[in-house]
Amino acid sequence: MILSLVFFTFSFVFYLVTALLYIGHWVFKKKWIGQTATTMAFVALLSTTMILIARAGESGHAPFSNLWESMMLFVWATNAGYLILEYRHKFRAIGAFVMGLEFIAMISAFMLPYRFKSAEPLNPALQNKWHWLMDVLRPFGLEKYAIGWLDFHVFTTFIGYAGFAISFGLSLIYLLKERSEASGTKGGIMGAFPEARIIDELSYRAIAWGFPFLATGIVSGAVWANYAWGSYWSWDPKETWSLITWFIYAAYLHARVTRGWRGKRAAYISVAGFLAVIFLYWGVSFVLPGLHAYAS
Amino acid sequence: MQDKAKNGGSKPFYKNSIWYFFNSLKLTLFVLITLAVVSIFGTVVEQNLPVEEYLQKYGEKWTSFILTARLHDMYHSYWFLALLAMLALNIIVCTFERFPPKWKALLNHKSEKFDARLIEKFANHHVFDVAASPEAVKERVVNAFKRKKFDIITSGSGKEFHLYAWKGRIGRLGSDFTHISLLLILLGAIIGSFAGYKDFRAVFVGGEMSVPKADFRLKLDNFWIDYYESGQIKQYNSLLTVIEDGKEVLKKQIWVNEPLYYKGIRFYQSSYGTAWNRVSEAEIAVQTKGRSEHNEPMLVKWETPTPLSGTKYSVKLIGYAADFAYDEGTNQVFSKSAEAVNPAVHLEIYDGDKLISTPWLFLKYPGIFPAIPGADEDLVFTGYRGIMYSGISINKDPGTNVVWAGSIVMGLGFILAFFVYHRRVWIVVRESGKSTEVKLGGMINKNNLVFEKELKEIVESISSEKAGGK
Ligand code: HEM
Repeated sequence: MILSLVFFTFSFVFYLVTALLYIGHWVFKKKWIGQTATTMAFVALLSTTMILIARAGESGHAPFSNLWESMMLFVWATNAGYLILEYRHKFRAIGAFVMGLEFIAMISAFMLPYRFKSAEPLNPALQNKWHWLMDVLRPFGLEKYAIGWLDFHVFTTFIGYAGFAISFGLSLIYLLKERSEASGTKGGIMGAFPEARIIDELSYRAIAWGFPFLATGIVSGAVWANYAWGSYWSWDPKETWSLITWFIYAAYLHARVTRGWRGKRAAYISVAGFLAVIFLYWGVSFVLPGLHAYAS
Repeated sequence: MQDKAKNGGSKPFYKNSIWYFFNSLKLTLFVLITLAVVSIFGTVVEQNLPVEEYLQKYGEKWTSFILTARLHDMYHSYWFLALLAMLALNIIVCTFERFPPKWKALLNHKSEKFDARLIEKFANHHVFDVAASPEAVKERVVNAFKRKKFDIITSGSGKEFHLYAWKGRIGRLGSDFTHISLLLILLGAIIGSFAGYKDFRAVFVGGEMSVPKADFRLKLDNFWIDYYESGQIKQYNSLLTVIEDGKEVLKKQIWVNEPLYYKGIRFYQSSYGTAWNRVSEAEIAVQTKGRSEHNEPMLVKWETPTPLSGTKYSVKLIGYAADFAYDEGTNQVFSKSAEAVNPAVHLEIYDGDKLISTPWLFLKYPGIFPAIPGADEDLVFTGYRGIMYSGISINKDPGTNVVWAGSIVMGLGFILAFFVYHRRVWIVVRESGKSTEVKLGGMINKNNLVFEKELKEIVESISSEKAGGK
């Protein structure tokens, strides 16, 4: 019995329930449904945390080394990011989109073939640990759980992805909301959302988190590559796609800050950016050849 | 929109149409999107393959297009580098054009004209009355802003006060830090491509390797592989010794992810294998011609004359080819690959002191050529012990540290650009009948939601009774 897969099963159900609750809250506008949804999102977050912890125990290293583990990290970071957003801005209706996305991610993780899921020891290229951290952990006998540039790289990259995913959800809502505002309907299905202007601003804030984290991910990946392959940049497809994605969001920021592109046009760039993220994450691994392929 | 070129006075000589071309933010968007789009080609067309593979994959017409457009080595092509150079020029010109006025405005911000009528024009403004004297209300305003970590200055006295509060000015420099960091990173890459090099050496255990453009050598003391209990490979290791002026100055174990760094040069564990042109010893057996079985094989060490027991001959092992091939043009034997596909050893056979034969013997084809012409005995090659080599990549890149420095500056820039917002608030406190009227309004350079909330809290704390208390 693999404990991480047990927690996965629980989480799968939790995300389904959470997504349904948020959708229920959106449609029926009952406060208690919303509160239950938030509680369930917390439960799902805890359960996802347990997946990651259990997996670290099983594989004997930080749980960021195959496609399935990275999906769990993505789900975890997006959930955490969403809950922070909900806490700070007190909007719940957005949860229907974000948690829907989370559930889709869980389904995709579930459908992965076993070889992308199993807990494996690290191959030589993935063994990068910070010596200082090993020294700190050694007295407790935990030095094998020390992390290094590679783990830092994956972790920061996925916080970046989570920011972009949230911005993507918000941009979709923006486009729907904008249409309903333009047609003058106040209530209705879109009535549960805050004003379009606020959604637009939140979408930008999510990118303002995603962008620097993706940059940190790219740089820490370069530091690791400099240890492992002997050069910090080699234009491998994954590296190049991360740069492409980063440039798209840089274009978003410049269009917004300096040319005043807001609302619809900003939302379209954000959607395009997230399509690039999906390709960067999944497409590159399966379609294009290279060093990074989680799929190999 | 864009900064207009302010005319008036003579323009510096460099402010010509080229300058304005590079000052454009439309150009920035264009270059960023173009870089993103063309980079996609580079990930779809696999880079730096031999020409035949492109021919096979894309056919003749497309291959010639790929080669002409240099899509096979796109990221080093002149047009790609030109795009990067455009981005760099764009950044340099934009920074030159925008930074000095911005810097001046940030320094002189307090002397900006105070126009009370403008306050109500801000999207974020509040007008409200407080039942207290102007003096007391002014105190409350100052305290409310200070509590939110604003700086604030006051002018006026008696019945009317003008105040100006600000916070987070330095956030405005975030984009400049970011842009300069990009230039630093590009600079680091340029330094690396001119002053650095990459190289590779395969070294046998016990052997030494030279290092290009350096006054030291490396010796490989040992190479070994660690395994997990499950049998999967855990790590490749090499033990290296640095030799300088004939002395051993440093010993270090390297593995994948743990290079040796010495005098600005890095040495990486990058591959390993068994030698294709050397063995440490070979097993040679004597066989009487016509018989099917041979005697007990003997161990023959590399380049060490060894008498063959039971015969008058002695042999010396002088060559090895893992995948035997013969070049008729040059009469040379070579190994077609590094794999032991067709292993063969080269021997010198002596009768006393006299060299009588130099045959190649094949592991898989014993006896196809007689080892000693005209003799009763033949020799067969029955086995060998290979030599491990370790593949060491050598990399000198003095630009790397510049790239890291640029990355750190970029991090600072991001913190300033995305998490430090510049707020400015103008406040008028004026007697109005029995109470005091407060008008305040202002702006933030981004994240208006935070600002709305902050201003509301400030207004509440000014109007509430307990506010302003000391
Ligand atoms: C890969 C290239 C570039 C990157 C990654 C980059 C990054 C950034 C970032 C992170 C910001 C802050 C955005 C924000 O506050 O939301 C910014 C702002 C800005 N960038 Fe760039 N930039 C790039 C190229 C350029 C170029 C070539 C120009 C020259 C025209 C330029 C001009 C500006 C301007 C004018 C601002 C606004 C400044 C401000 O609001 O204070 N950027 N850039």
